[in-house]
Amino acid sequence: MTAGPHRPDDECLIAALHLAAGRDPAPDHVAAAARAAFSLRLPGAVTARRAAVPAPSGVRADDRARLLRFGTGDLTVDLEVDAADGLIDLAGQVSPCQEAGTWVEVRTPCLTESRVLSAAGRFAVTGLPPGWFSVVCHREDRPPVATSWTRIRP
Amino acid sequence: MIDQHTLDAVLAGDQAAWDVTVKRLTPLVWSAVRAYGLSTADAADAVQGTWLRLVESLHTVRDPARIGAWLFTTARREACLVRRRTRGERPVADPADPPGPAETWHPHADPALAVVVADEGRRLWGVVESMHEPCRSLLRLMAAAPEAGVLQLAGRLGMPPGSYGPTRARCLNRLRSLLTAEETASAAPPPTGRGTAP
Repeated sequence: MTAGPHRPDDECLIAALHLAAGRDPAPDHVAAAARAAFSLRLPGAVTARRAAVPAPSGVRADDRARLLRFGTGDLTVDLEVDAADGLIDLAGQVSPCQEAGTWVEVRTPCLTESRVLSAAGRFAVTGLPPGWFSVVCHREDRPPVATSWTRIRP
Repeated sequence: MIDQHTLDAVLAGDQAAWDVTVKRLTPLVWSAVRAYGLSTADAADAVQGTWLRLVESLHTVRDPARIGAWLFTTARREACLVRRRTRGERPVADPADPPGPAETWHPHADPALAVVVADEGRRLWGVVESMHEPCRSLLRLMAAAPEAGVLQLAGRLGMPPGSYGPTRARCLNRLRSLLTAEETASAAPPPTGRGTAP
């Protein structure tokens, strides 16, 4: 691929040819999923973006791929991802410690699971379908914090 | 592609306006993703992620003219990640977030977009039709049969399967050069003397 500032790459040319030919319409379920995504809108939420995970000693690079960190200025969500039998288990830690009653939602396009944080700020959800997910932390008198949508495959 | 009225309605939470947005922009997003050779399931996954990112970033959108460019760029990025994964790279989750729309929402942030907007389609095919064989047939066939595999495409073009990839790469290179030359010619001031390039 030799894409310069004004030289579209191969994929762009192929996309343009497909689009112009009109012979590869998106399946109905693709557009339906896009329409349904609007229901996952969270007005006023703060987005926690992916951040680098510091390497704990003794953890292999392969294992670190299973640790995800998301952060805003005042809140960090750490997640450990496990895949078993084609489903996803998430164990999470919200820090710093939040006040009692803080709860999280683990959202996917097809289901949402709610958990109250433990006193130590931990939560866990098992048996999620593979695909896109976001964790939303709801706090008293403050806007919710939502981790950016992330795709997980077993 | 999307007007200010529709965007305002989307920002106010109007599902019908969102549906209009999806309807208008789905062909662009789908084409962007399918160009990476993804299966229907993987392409659907990348498209869904693209729309989820737009939903997540809606509050930062001000200019409706930039939504197409952002979606196109984001869809390409998601597709690229999925393709890397299907080729055997194996992070459990995709690395790093894309830049937020606030940083990338420039209409020409992805120069590639100029090639895929509707008015360019005719020009693009005009250039393809002017190309020599096997490029003309190969590009036509590739666009007309997006689900066809290399064996099938090579067979229909009468070439060995091993030649299809390199030939396609050469044809795309040639197409890119022709488009660039055409753009340069149309952007240049009128010639003042003899001997200008054809």
